[in-house]
Amino acid sequence: MANVFAFVETRGAEVRKVGLEAVTAARMLADQTGGGEVHALVLGPPEIGGKAPQLGQHGADVVIVVENPALTNYSPEVATATAAARIKSAGYRAAVFSTSAQGRDLAPRVAARLGVSVVTDVLSFEVQGSNIVVRHPMNIGKVIATISIPATPAVIAMRPNVIAPAQNAKAGRLENAQPAVDPSVTRVKVLETKQGRRDKLDLAEAPVVVAGGRGLKAAENFKLIEDLATAFGNAAVGATRAVTDDGWRPHSDQIGQTGRLVSPELYVAVGISGAVQHLAGMRTSRTIVAINKDKEAPIFKVADYGIVGDVFEVVPALTDAVREAKKHH
Amino acid sequence: MPDRAGRVLPSIHQAPLPLDRLILTDKPDAEAVPMDVLFVGGGPAGLAGAIALARLIKADQEAGGDLGDVQIGVLEKAGALGEHSLSGAVVDPIAIRALFPELKDKDFPFRAPVAAERVYLMTETRALRMPTPPTMQNRGYYIGSICEIVRWLGEKAEALGVNIFTGFPAASLLTNGSRVTGIRTAPSGLSRSGEPGSGYAPPTDITAQITVLAEGTRGTLSQAYLDWQKVASDNPQIFALGVKEIWETLKPLDAVVHTLGWPLPKDCFGGSFMYPLTRNLVALGIVVGLDCKRTTDDIHEMLQRMKLHPFFREILESGEMVEWGAKTIPEGGYYALPKRRHGDGVMIVGDAAGFVEVASLKGIHYAMQSGMFAARAAFDALKKKDTSAATLKEYDAMIDGSFIVSDLYHRRNMRLAFQKSGFYMAGFKAGLMTLSRGALFGGKIASHQDSEVVREVSPPTPFAPDGKLTFSKLDAVFKSGNATRDDIPSHLVVGSDITPEVAEFYTHMCPAGVYERDGDRLVVSPANCVDCKATDVLGPRWTPREGGSGPKYRQM
Amino acid sequence: MKLAVCVKRVPDMDVRFRIGADNISVDEAGLKYDLNDFDAWAVEAALQLRDKNAGSEVTVISLGPDVVQETIRKALSMGADRGIHLKADRVPFDGFAIASALAAELKTGGYDLVLFGKMSPDSANGVVGQMVAEMLDTPCVSAISSLEIANGKGTAKRELEGAQEIVEFSLPAILTVDEGLNTARLPSLKGIMAAKKKPLESKPAQLPQPQLTVTRLELPPERKAGRIIGEGAAAVPELVKLLQTEAKVL
Repeated sequence: MANVFAFVETRGAEVRKVGLEAVTAARMLADQTGGGEVHALVLGPPEIGGKAPQLGQHGADVVIVVENPALTNYSPEVATATAAARIKSAGYRAAVFSTSAQGRDLAPRVAARLGVSVVTDVLSFEVQGSNIVVRHPMNIGKVIATISIPATPAVIAMRPNVIAPAQNAKAGRLENAQPAVDPSVTRVKVLETKQGRRDKLDLAEAPVVVAGGRGLKAAENFKLIEDLATAFGNAAVGATRAVTDDGWRPHSDQIGQTGRLVSPELYVAVGISGAVQHLAGMRTSRTIVAINKDKEAPIFKVADYGIVGDVFEVVPALTDAVREAKKHH
Repeated sequence: MPDRAGRVLPSIHQAPLPLDRLILTDKPDAEAVPMDVLFVGGGPAGLAGAIALARLIKADQEAGGDLGDVQIGVLEKAGALGEHSLSGAVVDPIAIRALFPELKDKDFPFRAPVAAERVYLMTETRALRMPTPPTMQNRGYYIGSICEIVRWLGEKAEALGVNIFTGFPAASLLTNGSRVTGIRTAPSGLSRSGEPGSGYAPPTDITAQITVLAEGTRGTLSQAYLDWQKVASDNPQIFALGVKEIWETLKPLDAVVHTLGWPLPKDCFGGSFMYPLTRNLVALGIVVGLDCKRTTDDIHEMLQRMKLHPFFREILESGEMVEWGAKTIPEGGYYALPKRRHGDGVMIVGDAAGFVEVASLKGIHYAMQSGMFAARAAFDALKKKDTSAATLKEYDAMIDGSFIVSDLYHRRNMRLAFQKSGFYMAGFKAGLMTLSRGALFGGKIASHQDSEVVREVSPPTPFAPDGKLTFSKLDAVFKSGNATRDDIPSHLVVGSDITPEVAEFYTHMCPAGVYERDGDRLVVSPANCVDCKATDVLGPRWTPREGGSGPKYRQM
Repeated sequence: MKLAVCVKRVPDMDVRFRIGADNISVDEAGLKYDLNDFDAWAVEAALQLRDKNAGSEVTVISLGPDVVQETIRKALSMGADRGIHLKADRVPFDGFAIASALAAELKTGGYDLVLFGKMSPDSANGVVGQMVAEMLDTPCVSAISSLEIANGKGTAKRELEGAQEIVEFSLPAILTVDEGLNTARLPSLKGIMAAKKKPLESKPAQLPQPQLTVTRLELPPERKAGRIIGEGAAAVPELVKLLQTEAKVL
């Protein structure tokens, strides 16, 4: 029986969804190694302790809370020192982080401090005897590696959105702890965490991408795309090369071989024929929906779900339906 | 004077070659990079020349010669060697054996010796086997990828200390009087409007005692030089366009295949090829003269249609197209060779000089051999400390006394002599008569530039690619590895009076979809260009653009 | 300023990869290699700092077999001053092992700033820079998208999900560089010629045994064929239902 450590990412006084994913993943790992405890570490400003019950609901037996006004922003040195000290003292089988911007910074630091390796962007894990075996994408996702981690603790950082936060109520026993180093004396200091402007999601980060092509006929019709993106709430707007070449959208919106490569959960291609150079930019999307009036358009060959029809009829209908669906979330 | 109704004469819509940009009398910049011998073009001719020269110099130095440190440079516009090289190819190993006498055939970068070969006359539904004509016997030759050959030559050249500069196109010749003193490269990082953007790198000058122009088919500086010095051939060079694909196939191909007839229109000159690179990797393509008679003759589409023929379909079905590309081939042969291929401080080698034999579809060994001759002449000139035309004329003498010229001479009326050898049959008689343009056997056949051939405005043949066996130009260009930035300024000089018919003509002329007819106007997408040079022959003039642009051929 | 940049030679990603016969490596036939983009931005950042601070020098370090010297030369032709090649038969996947070897070299270098690319696209782990920093107990900021150095202190920006961090750090420091920091300069002809004469030292890498083992490489599964679910606006309710229940993205 072995315990598993989870690092719960916060932003300000909020626990981020990837933090819940880390706890869920740690719970799964603990259960696979004989049903040990999950200890979740969360750092943040004074209100953060109030999130402990939520972490218990997702499978944490113990929630270690480190509250400090200086921890409103991420502090790499405090987080590293505190996590490493805890992991070292308590002998965990594995330590689970997230492959978020913060997790990418933190997980390798903690691993190095512990004298062990780390695998980030983990797609799945499995316990095989004394090894923890993980899958990790290489070569921009074109190759999948299976990697065996014999060391203890096995330090891994999960890819966001591959583990759905699951309810698995455990004790969630609260432990208040101090930061392992003085937060006011660090060599690296986050001065500010600035929220993005206009809630504009970056194409590479957005879970949903709505993209428009020549089928929209004119630049002003991109309003349809923007409305659909707004209805989803967590969507970014993209475009094809034909559209950016014509100046309807900025070049930075172009998805394709010579533009941006995106891999969202959901990609909605509106009025896009599906030229191979565009597909190169989005074909690793988890789910692809295509709306086009030409049923022979190549996009339908890669789309999971397609609607053949006039985009000017279908898209507004879809926007309304998505808005409705989101209301009941 | 505008076109007659229902007709397009390409030449009247073409801009002239911008000589004032291509031939510069500027003094080289103070920061110029000094080379002794510079090969412009990193194809088989340029690399073979550089290797041969490096070896001559090394042998001389080891024997106590007094040349001192000789810097040899090879300038290549593609981002890496081979990326702009495309050919069938079945290679005659004569030149590579002469360049590397210490190596055996198995050491050379060829794929396989030619085992079997077959020639077919195609109709829309059938493939009729024909006896292989003598001009197409390939026994003893090797199937190869010119990209692989070029990369291999590049490694040999670098090991000999040759400086290879990739991603640097030569944009202009630097001259002093009649002497070529070096070249100026194209700038990079210009915005669509032509202004320096972020990442701007200005042009660089390279000075050289001898500049060897090895630019390949329809080389821009070569054309400019021949024009400037008025030593182009009386017969203008004429061209064919080759469009080629590489397929991974489930069904193996066991022979070198050539076809003629369908899908080429009866008055179009050319044929197709299909070669096995390995058991399950096939190179196939179509080669068609650019003097086709209709504005809507579309060579890329001919290739796509060809693949649907049961003969080809059988091999390609369930396979996958992994590469696509296009390149022109000089077809003028003996009578289109420049009057003089050397000058003060300059020599012209390879395809740029027209050393291609059309009947056998061979040019790689001529290119390499001509490069080796240029190396010899350059070496002798450096030793004599005289790089003027008087010394470099040794190059022309070597070319004239070699198998290059004798092969081209023997096949000089090939297009016509096909009638005699029985290779080109009824389907081509009409075309051949047209091509003979009056004079017949023996004497020089006066020919016209491709752009002087009138095209009839005709409706396009409908073409709907299926995305599995046949592909649109946009999808094809993607498979050429072309990732040129979309906001690159246009390198194409559009001429005048581009009527809707001319726009339609350009749309079909270009295999890469650079030109589109949108209603009545011409839309140009220069980033699609794969540097095949068809546009330079028939339409907007091609000029060098930012290094690394264009295709990234791998196994072509 | 004494600047160092650690770089990695990677294959061109714009290809279809094949798995080698041993099932744990990628088939190298036909692959083209180069300095990876993130490292190129790191080299560019170092060169810009060097040019702004008279008397500064940029050292480029790379671990691997002899062929990585080509990559060091590429950085030298961009303008770096000298190169160090840490010789190893192959570059392990394990970032900890790589970091150990680099840290051993960097320890005695007296560098004010060491830059890394945020990640290399082949192993795609993105850990080496941070691990080196821990091993050398040096302040570290990873994935920076903007950078200013003045008076022994630095300020950088980091992109988060829907937000940005403004970070201050003291020197000496280790930074890893993300897209957007700069545009890497292309080597000029003069730079290429000059690079041939710059010093490039080669020495054995002090690589520990890797702790991770790659047991298998495979290609991702092909996309399953999709379907057209209907025509026009009438198909929308069915689509939404499928997105909710089947695809679970809504």
